[in-house]
Amino acid sequence: MTATVTQQQTQELTQEEADARVADPWVTIVWNDPVNLMSYVSYVFESYFGYPQAKAERLMLQVHHDGRAVVSTGPRERMEVDVQAMHSYGLWATMRSSGDPDGGAA
Amino acid sequence: MTPFRAAPAGYVARWDAVEREVLARVARDVSELLRAESGIGPDLELSDGVAFTGVARVPHDPAVQRLLPDAHRDDPDVAAEFRHLTQTDLAARKAARLEAFAQALDPQGGTGTDEVLVERQDAEDFAGALTDVRLVLAERLALEDDDDVTALHDEVVAGLVDPDDDGPDDDHPDDDHPDDGGPDDGVDAGPGELGDGGFVLAPDERRYWGGVFVAAGFAQESLMDELLADLRAGR
Repeated sequence: MTATVTQQQTQELTQEEADARVADPWVTIVWNDPVNLMSYVSYVFESYFGYPQAKAERLMLQVHHDGRAVVSTGPRERMEVDVQAMHSYGLWATMRSSGDPDGGAA
Repeated sequence: MTPFRAAPAGYVARWDAVEREVLARVARDVSELLRAESGIGPDLELSDGVAFTGVARVPHDPAVQRLLPDAHRDDPDVAAEFRHLTQTDLAARKAARLEAFAQALDPQGGTGTDEVLVERQDAEDFAGALTDVRLVLAERLALEDDDDVTALHDEVVAGLVDPDDDGPDDDHPDDDHPDDGGPDDGVDAGPGELGDGGFVLAPDERRYWGGVFVAAGFAQESLMDELLADLRAGR
């Protein structure tokens, strides 16, 4: 981007970015660690995300057996909130664009 | 140490004086580590607002790195921006939670009882503090995978580790470090220093902190069973 971008162009670019984010959401990934208890991880998924018991336990087992699981999807700003919450609980979480290689896999 | 059980007033367990004192001390040590690594003072409250403008560098201590991890694995810019925006706030909240946990276990003047009462509105913070304590102990104990944790549990269960062990200092009474005068009835609560990381624990230290790690896990497991039951029952 050059320094000669007009105000209007900047707004258009910003709108493009916003559109891109809707089309290309980010994901929050929780990674396995040897310390966190399965019951605690289930509790976090049910309590924080409001997931039903079956979904929370499926995600918890996916973390445990596969090493990681995508636990939420949405705009980057929303994923930042989720990652910070996971860190507060002591879970090891990262975020990435789902358009990145491997971004949606888990 | 007895498991937590749901009661009308909250979740109740019984921990003896050594268990309370050791876990309170570890929690205070972890809180100090967090404050030191994230540049927040002991008196800083979230409401001061200053917490949101603190310096947010990557912690040096690997255990603190685990409590305040990178938010992106492959993009250092995203990780740095996230750290800048959130780290001081997160560290301050964790430190406050650990200090409340310690205060509940080991209040000034003692408790006069073995009962640990965790009120329902405090239970999630109590479990979070236990998590942070266990994460730091695990780093010091070099527990890197599930097999390491299983092996440590087996050591403890086999009686190689006594969770009530007063610690390695017992073998070397040191009159140069007089008791702090606390109401501990002469009980030496162990080595007390969590250390700075980056070194291998001596065997007696490993036995001691291993016992603490297992005890903290036992406490958290029983608390989570009750919390999950209440959550699923809509209580």
